[in-house]
Amino acid sequence: MRIGALARGMMGWLSPAMLVAFALFGTLPLWIEAVGLYRYLGIEILIWCIFALGFNLLLGYTGLPSFGHGAYFGIGAYALGLTQFHLAASLWVGLLAATLAAAVMGGGVALFISHRRGIYFALMTIAFGQMFFFIASKWTSVTGGEDGLLDIRRLPAHVGFAAFDLTGNLAMSYFTFATFAVVTVLLWRLVHSPFGKVLRAIKQNETRMAYLGYRVFAYKWASFTLSCAVAGLAGGLFAMAQHGAYVQVMNLQWSGVVVLMTLVGGGLVSFWGPVVGTVLYFVARDLLGMYTESWLLWFGLMFMLVVMFKPEGVAGIWQAAAARAGARRRARAVALQPAGGK
Amino acid sequence: MDLLITLGPHLLNGVALGLLFALVALGFMLIIGVMEVINLAHGSLFALGAYVAVALVTPEGGLRLAALATYFAFPLPARFVVALVVAPIVVGGVGMVLEVCLRRTYGRDPLYGLLLTFGAALVLEELIRLVWGPTERFLPVPAAITGGITLGGLVYSVYRFFASAFAVGMIVLLWLFLQRTRYGALIKAGAHDSEMVRALGVNLTRLRLLVFALGTALAAVAGIVMAPIWGVRPHVGVDAVVPAFVVIVLGGVGSFWGAVIAGLLVGMVVGITGAFATAWSLVSMYVLLILVVTVRGRGLLGKKSVLER
Amino acid sequence: MTSGISRRTLLVNGALVGGATFFGPWRRHHVYAQKTDKPILIGLTHDASGQFANSGQDEQRGTIMALEEANARGGVLGRKLAYIAADTETTPATGSRVAERMITRNEVAFLVGAIQSGVANAIGQVAQKYGCVYFNTNSSSPTESGKDCKRVKFVWDGSGANFALAAADNAVRTFGKRWQLLTNDYVWGHNTSKATREIASRFGAQIIDEILVPVGTRDFSPILLKVQQAKPDVVAAAVGGDDFKVMRQEVVKLGLDQKPAWLNNQQDWPDIYGLGIESVFGVFGTTWYHKLPLPGVADLGRRYRQRWPETRIDVPGNVFYNGYMAMWELVRAIERAGSTNNIKVIKALEGHKMPARDRLQHHEAWIDPETHHVQQTVYLAARNDKPADPTDYFKILSWAEPTKVRDPESAKTCKLQSYESTPTYEQ
Repeated sequence: MRIGALARGMMGWLSPAMLVAFALFGTLPLWIEAVGLYRYLGIEILIWCIFALGFNLLLGYTGLPSFGHGAYFGIGAYALGLTQFHLAASLWVGLLAATLAAAVMGGGVALFISHRRGIYFALMTIAFGQMFFFIASKWTSVTGGEDGLLDIRRLPAHVGFAAFDLTGNLAMSYFTFATFAVVTVLLWRLVHSPFGKVLRAIKQNETRMAYLGYRVFAYKWASFTLSCAVAGLAGGLFAMAQHGAYVQVMNLQWSGVVVLMTLVGGGLVSFWGPVVGTVLYFVARDLLGMYTESWLLWFGLMFMLVVMFKPEGVAGIWQAAAARAGARRRARAVALQPAGGK
Repeated sequence: MDLLITLGPHLLNGVALGLLFALVALGFMLIIGVMEVINLAHGSLFALGAYVAVALVTPEGGLRLAALATYFAFPLPARFVVALVVAPIVVGGVGMVLEVCLRRTYGRDPLYGLLLTFGAALVLEELIRLVWGPTERFLPVPAAITGGITLGGLVYSVYRFFASAFAVGMIVLLWLFLQRTRYGALIKAGAHDSEMVRALGVNLTRLRLLVFALGTALAAVAGIVMAPIWGVRPHVGVDAVVPAFVVIVLGGVGSFWGAVIAGLLVGMVVGITGAFATAWSLVSMYVLLILVVTVRGRGLLGKKSVLER
Repeated sequence: MTSGISRRTLLVNGALVGGATFFGPWRRHHVYAQKTDKPILIGLTHDASGQFANSGQDEQRGTIMALEEANARGGVLGRKLAYIAADTETTPATGSRVAERMITRNEVAFLVGAIQSGVANAIGQVAQKYGCVYFNTNSSSPTESGKDCKRVKFVWDGSGANFALAAADNAVRTFGKRWQLLTNDYVWGHNTSKATREIASRFGAQIIDEILVPVGTRDFSPILLKVQQAKPDVVAAAVGGDDFKVMRQEVVKLGLDQKPAWLNNQQDWPDIYGLGIESVFGVFGTTWYHKLPLPGVADLGRRYRQRWPETRIDVPGNVFYNGYMAMWELVRAIERAGSTNNIKVIKALEGHKMPARDRLQHHEAWIDPETHHVQQTVYLAARNDKPADPTDYFKILSWAEPTKVRDPESAKTCKLQSYESTPTYEQ
């Protein structure tokens, strides 16, 4: 009895797909070199997965397109570096600062834009994103401007009884995976909570939700702020991975890239869409990039085709195929039944 | 008086700058206003216009056909005019292809249109890089409209005055087209009531194709006119699409004169900060945008549109 | 038209030359009978897109040509040289990733290439972490050999401070004392202008104003009006990249290039070639010119044309030159060290003197052991009024000995990592 309840309780937090993802990503450092890639790439993929998953809370679940999310990723990166240099040389303080700084900035911006929707919302996120980008590139004394904030260290992870050194890419891989796992579980729980249901209802019909008495503004605000916080956390990890924080990740193009990854993967129809899209983007970029310098041409074309013919992305194709297979199975089952059966 | 002497030239310059911003935004405005598509490829089409013009004006521009030797023997002003006519047509053709791709997104979330054009922007920029290489190109300008002119002891660019006057011409022409011609009336009607247009027996599909071609051709015109000022390089489009977007949001989506006024406003602000707080001249347009839009949600003269759905 | 094709050819060459070590994604190790059979793999970290794509490709041509010449002479230590190239996108974050990839995945022996100081820094940090020797071929920020110097990093271009030192004295005497600074509002601009300010003041100049030009400025009209209103004798401009191209076009068009006098930072050859001689303006520094009256210079030009018949840049320029020279010096350093071990190669490079004959410059050059900055002849140039042929853009006004233009500031701010704290690296 108890075990059954526990299992049911667990199911709110976990899912089979999640376990598969964890098994794959958790063992990533062990096999990534065997398939011709390298550990550092694995770290970047996991970081961008975190970023994209948080972004999809806004895009996929709330239906709000932000074209300026790179800004919060960058703010997180700077916050981690600046905390480390000026406040406290601690990993946890740094990552907390990265998350909070992005959440505070994002929360401030959300106050200005949460009453908007659709394209107007997108336009305003671009304007704010560009502002942050320009401030970061101008404020040389704090951010290092175009040269970036350099010499950021990977501080050891103290966990009470022990401390893990993260300077090597192997340790950093596992640490990034652990963060990814925590963020994934929390986001999964969130989108399946009543809060997540309200967000999805807002995506479907904002006006109806307002009539029903929901404070739509507050929900949208919270969704934006949370996704910014996750972006900041990812940015903090990125600064650790790169040993530096650079302004370019805040510009319009990089902000567009996260939208692109989320959509190509199928963030609109699946929780896992952003992860699929991120992996696809990084592997394509790394492999195509070594063969052709115009890899963006091919990726751009692929993206256009996805938007035109399968806007639900890779996850959408998968779901459609699974549904067809299911239908075939059912059809076979029906065929096997004696005539007259339903 | 002293202040006026110091400030005067910058005000004049600001107006010129503003007209150029309006010109850059014109095609973007038409497409967003009528079709409710945010054409993020506007910048890349702008760049494409400039490159096609370079190919039509200079023999090193990529057209290395022997048959064209006689063409390149024409005087520069003639080739410049040819470029101003032919390049927009070529780019308008590319725009038509893009519109055909866009058809699959009609009736869906306007977000898809924006995403498709984002992809198109990447593709076009990479294609330009493949065809013309990463090298900076140069668009020669007829002698009559180049050089400097001295006014009150300061040298101003003749070409800039030409470009501003050209911008005024384009704005007036487009306005007359929309106001005084049957097609213009249909375009405006199509923007607000596609049912009515269909009831009038007009082929809406063809109308949209036309608008998109016109909008992208205008992007090319802006690209050519701005080439001698901004230069020609594969990523020059980013320099165009961002101000165009600021101008449109500031002026209000769907408003012709809103865009023109916003262009002038942005020009003045950039011009004045450029002179007295140069380091902040680029940020100033975003500050202006956020200030205005915070007070007036739909920009200066914006109307309610489906984009808010 | 052609450069697109040439870029592709170049990548294919990369795959062929590097074929022994780069098998595509799905296989990892190649078994060599002996370690000495394995080619010495050079990772080329050049920009192929973004603001400095054009210069990035030019320095790549230089490095590849030197590498092929070295191979034609039998390679080094009995091993052939090979290369792989990846686009660093003029983006530091990409530079980091590419460096990580090349070191951990492709197992390159050395890294070569940089235009932008941000990218050079990012690569330098990763290289230092692993101990891989890295040549910054073309980023001229004074910080590269100053506060951001690294034990594994060597800087091959002249810095803004070198050029200011070469030009300031003369400019104050010839043009006048009232100077106005135009500073691109980022690290390179600030550092270069700071150096100019100090050096010019030392020679009696009075800095009347400094205008900060934001990165990405496409319209210089307000700034040029302001310059005219201030009426300086000299405008010392530290404006780079696309901003400089836009400014140049506007200044020349208005005829403002004669009065006031303009003192510019280095005008990179790929940025200017093809725009016509009239686009050159002001007085500026450079490290090399294809018409220097020195033995070997014309021959390098011929070999360049033969090797790169398709590029639009018909003659080699300073960016190509730095990439070319740096690669040759790397080969020579490996030879002297007798090994590809990083510490041995570093020691072979530090303090090394390079004869003027090898450098194709007027004076002997050397690698400063304190800053890892190549101290070399610095030329002052201006537009050529009597060009010998259509490629003859520059008139060389003077040249300064390396000792005269050595920047003492960078030595004060540079703290190289110790040998002990630099990991051993050998491929």
